[in-house]
Amino acid sequence: MRPIGPIQIGVPGMEVKKPTLVQKLKRFLFIDLIRGMGLTLKYNLGAITDKDSVAGKGIYTEQYPKVRPDVAPRFHGAPRLNMDPETHDTLCIACNLCAIACPEDCIDVIAMDVEIIVAGKPRRKKVLDEFIFDTSRCMFCALCQEACPTSCLELTQDFELATYSRAGFVWNREMLEQGRETVKYTS
Amino acid sequence: MLLFGPINVLNDLLLKFFSADTINYFVWPLIQIGLVVTLVAAWVAYATYLERKISAFMQARLGPMRVGPWGLLQPIADGIKLLAKEDFIPEKADRWIFFFAPYIAVASAFIVFSVVPFGPDWAVIADVNIGLLLVLAVSSVGVLALILAGWSSNSKYALLGGLRSSAQMVSYEVAMGLSLIGALMFARTLSLSGMVYAQGSDSIWYIVYQPAGFLIFLISGIAENNRAPFDLPEAESELVAGFHTEYSGMRWSLFFMAEYAAMVVVAAVAATVYLGGWYFPFVDRLEQNGYHNLYVVVSLLVFLIKASVILYIYFWLRWTLPRFRYDQLMDIGWKWLIPSALINIVLTAFAVFLVQALNGWRDMKTIEAVNQGLNLTATGKIIMFVTGLISVFITGALLSRINWRSRDFNLKTQRRNIRLVNVAKGKPAVEAVQQ
Repeated sequence: MRPIGPIQIGVPGMEVKKPTLVQKLKRFLFIDLIRGMGLTLKYNLGAITDKDSVAGKGIYTEQYPKVRPDVAPRFHGAPRLNMDPETHDTLCIACNLCAIACPEDCIDVIAMDVEIIVAGKPRRKKVLDEFIFDTSRCMFCALCQEACPTSCLELTQDFELATYSRAGFVWNREMLEQGRETVKYTS
Repeated sequence: MLLFGPINVLNDLLLKFFSADTINYFVWPLIQIGLVVTLVAAWVAYATYLERKISAFMQARLGPMRVGPWGLLQPIADGIKLLAKEDFIPEKADRWIFFFAPYIAVASAFIVFSVVPFGPDWAVIADVNIGLLLVLAVSSVGVLALILAGWSSNSKYALLGGLRSSAQMVSYEVAMGLSLIGALMFARTLSLSGMVYAQGSDSIWYIVYQPAGFLIFLISGIAENNRAPFDLPEAESELVAGFHTEYSGMRWSLFFMAEYAAMVVVAAVAATVYLGGWYFPFVDRLEQNGYHNLYVVVSLLVFLIKASVILYIYFWLRWTLPRFRYDQLMDIGWKWLIPSALINIVLTAFAVFLVQALNGWRDMKTIEAVNQGLNLTATGKIIMFVTGLISVFITGALLSRINWRSRDFNLKTQRRNIRLVNVAKGKPAVEAVQQ
């Protein structure tokens, strides 16, 4: 008959270590509880003493509507049609290269012919009439930006593209040139 | 003007309309009740705000910041939102019980404030001589509300939450009541104001005499209020929301209010019994200098600060500790808190006996007076403090010895029975029955 050894707890063969005296004392005096409470108190005091309360030493979260995050430099967001800074005419020459480059086929360039007089002779020139950019289909690959010969079309770092309707995702020329209005929070 | 003397202005005004008796026994109490209900409701509302804020700080966030400066108007916005929400009653629910359960919860939490001494003189509604008993009795009616809510919802999660809360609150109530007896031996009264006066005349807080009692009261108070780490009845990860799963809108917020009001009750009672209530050294000089109402207001502030400190401990524990398992919860209640409360009673009685026996032995003076509670001299206080501190360790050591492996007690005998059968390794102890 086998002698009855120490009682095993759990799976047979799995050794359960007996607690040492230090471990027992730790449990008895609630050392770990006190340590944990000290940690939370430290965070609490750190958050209270954090003066500017904006992702400082005590607060780690980003105060989003108040403070806008810095996005990565390679981030592509809302599209924009750049304008000549002096004359405020559009830089777009209606060459349609962006529409051809777009893998999602979300750009429509609508051009019109304008009669102009160059060196005394009447000529016809192709100018931009309307520019349709469907952001709901866009995958922000920025191939259109690469294709643009005049650096007119550009994907900016603006990321607030949500709207209340499906039609709101389709940006026309005015929206692309002026940018969309978003609420700016200050507090 | 009003702050520096007795309130004569209002009294004269009231005497024009009512008789003196009506004023003393009807008008003033009504005014006091109105004040206390307003104060407590505001306190409860801002307890929710503070809870969110403190939890945010402990998690390195900012918490509510949008409504008002620092989000200070958030409780009001929450209240309006909850009022505007749909008050939904499930089709198969027991309508009337479902309807009334939240009111029972709120009433049982708020009635207790009628005896809580917020301050001296006019800052307490009713100084009844069974104050502490009334607190324990009325606050335990809160369990009924939770059971009724869980039952009438006709939902399995609500019912499970109600069952859990009833088991938990019934088992922790015992420890809660027993832990207060130690302090009663010094105060020699059940009146809550009387306990404050007793501590004032002894110029000591009973937490010094009764560290074990305070700890037991605090732990069982947290468990009684179904707060984390003992929030089994409303464990989100297991029971959706416990007993108030089916509640919505204002009825739900009544439960919420009741929970916080019950927390404030426990904090107030703990502050009164163990932290000296509104008593604070040197504040009574204001009374001696004739600033009666200022004295009452300052005492009231002292009381609020003391209770708020205990509320902070509530929040602090909630955001530090994870939830207990259900068997651990019952273990702590029945195997640790109730025996340690009983041991505390015995040891405290022994200490009081020791102090009384030592009084007059070899010209030693330990007891000063026994007119308002047990007033001890410096020697007696030291003896009481040391015995109180030692009794914590005695209780802990004794109980950890008794409870050593108490959980695998049954398992132990079962294993031994199996092992006594002499079988070779690898074979089952009991042969499978051949069909």
